[in-house]
Amino acid sequence: MMRGRTDRLHADASDYFASSESPAVKRTDFYWLRLVGTGLWFLVFGLVTFVLGFVVLPIIRLLTPERSRRQRRSRAVLGAGMRSFIHGVNDLRFIDFEFVGREKLGQPGQLIVANHPTLIDVCFLLGFTPTASCIVKASHFRNPITRGAVIGAGYIPNAPTEDMIHAAEAALREGETLLMFPEGTRTVPGKPLAMQRGAANVALRAARVLTPVYISCEPSTLTKNLPWYRIPRSRPKWTLRVGDDIDLGAYRDAPLPIASRRLHADLAGLFAGANTVRD
Amino acid sequence: MKSRQEIFDIVRRSLVELFELEEPNVVPEARFDDDLEIDSIDAVDLVDHLSRIFERRVSPRDFRSVRTVNDLIDCIDRLQTQ
Repeated sequence: MMRGRTDRLHADASDYFASSESPAVKRTDFYWLRLVGTGLWFLVFGLVTFVLGFVVLPIIRLLTPERSRRQRRSRAVLGAGMRSFIHGVNDLRFIDFEFVGREKLGQPGQLIVANHPTLIDVCFLLGFTPTASCIVKASHFRNPITRGAVIGAGYIPNAPTEDMIHAAEAALREGETLLMFPEGTRTVPGKPLAMQRGAANVALRAARVLTPVYISCEPSTLTKNLPWYRIPRSRPKWTLRVGDDIDLGAYRDAPLPIASRRLHADLAGLFAGANTVRD
Repeated sequence: MKSRQEIFDIVRRSLVELFELEEPNVVPEARFDDDLEIDSIDAVDLVDHLSRIFERRVSPRDFRSVRTVNDLIDCIDRLQTQ
């Protein structure tokens, strides 16, 4: 698997940087239009997020004092925003995407775990599962652009650990759907997956259903180590595949810390395996 | 009210049960992170487990300064007198 990943990294590097030396590799699919379009689209996305967080969600807050209804409405609005973003970049032919099995997402008490190759993974998952809550980086609760949105929707900050685990547990017990990226941050291409054990722990504490989603993007783009304007030569395609539910009963005979280590190891294996198949 | 020895026994039994540690390794001086390899997620599990046993709703924040098994016993001892 490591070899496969490393080779891809090299292939990607030449995709981006070898333009002068190897004119044989053509920039295709309206490269310049995609570049300018991608930039504009991110600008629009930031502005819309800000307006939603600072105008629309506060209005919802005023009109809906009751917490669960308020969160539902806020999430519906944000989900619609993210869905529109995805449909927008798709309709403008900046990206392609395929989302297989998304009707299996959104069940009560369902914990969705996904790998995290690109910046916009969350837009696919929350865009098409707008009822879900999500564990998000604690820094988004301080960032002025995202702050209003993540608070309004009642998403859960990933730190401190004990608060994150207890809030995630409570959300699942109340029958919410919850999305977690066990890696905590985007995967660096060429590096092995570094998953945190929090997802396995939360799953065993309170999830009724644990569902993995495998995400891939070819050619890779919007990764951790590249700025947004390093767009690939050809139009990138996201593939999201909802996997089979993971049977949690198989882990319940051991005490939680032991069981969560086992589940964690199995999850890491599943996602590593999915990456190998993809390469 | 439990004596410090009773608290120690409960803590040791919990650590052995939850984390499959060897009983002789759980000594009062053992450090959670280095000696027992208890990370922040394990700590949440441990605190939840102990608060069920001692029937006290404690916040993991009460355990912020805990580094060793002995610190933990001090902490529980303090909490039960509050």
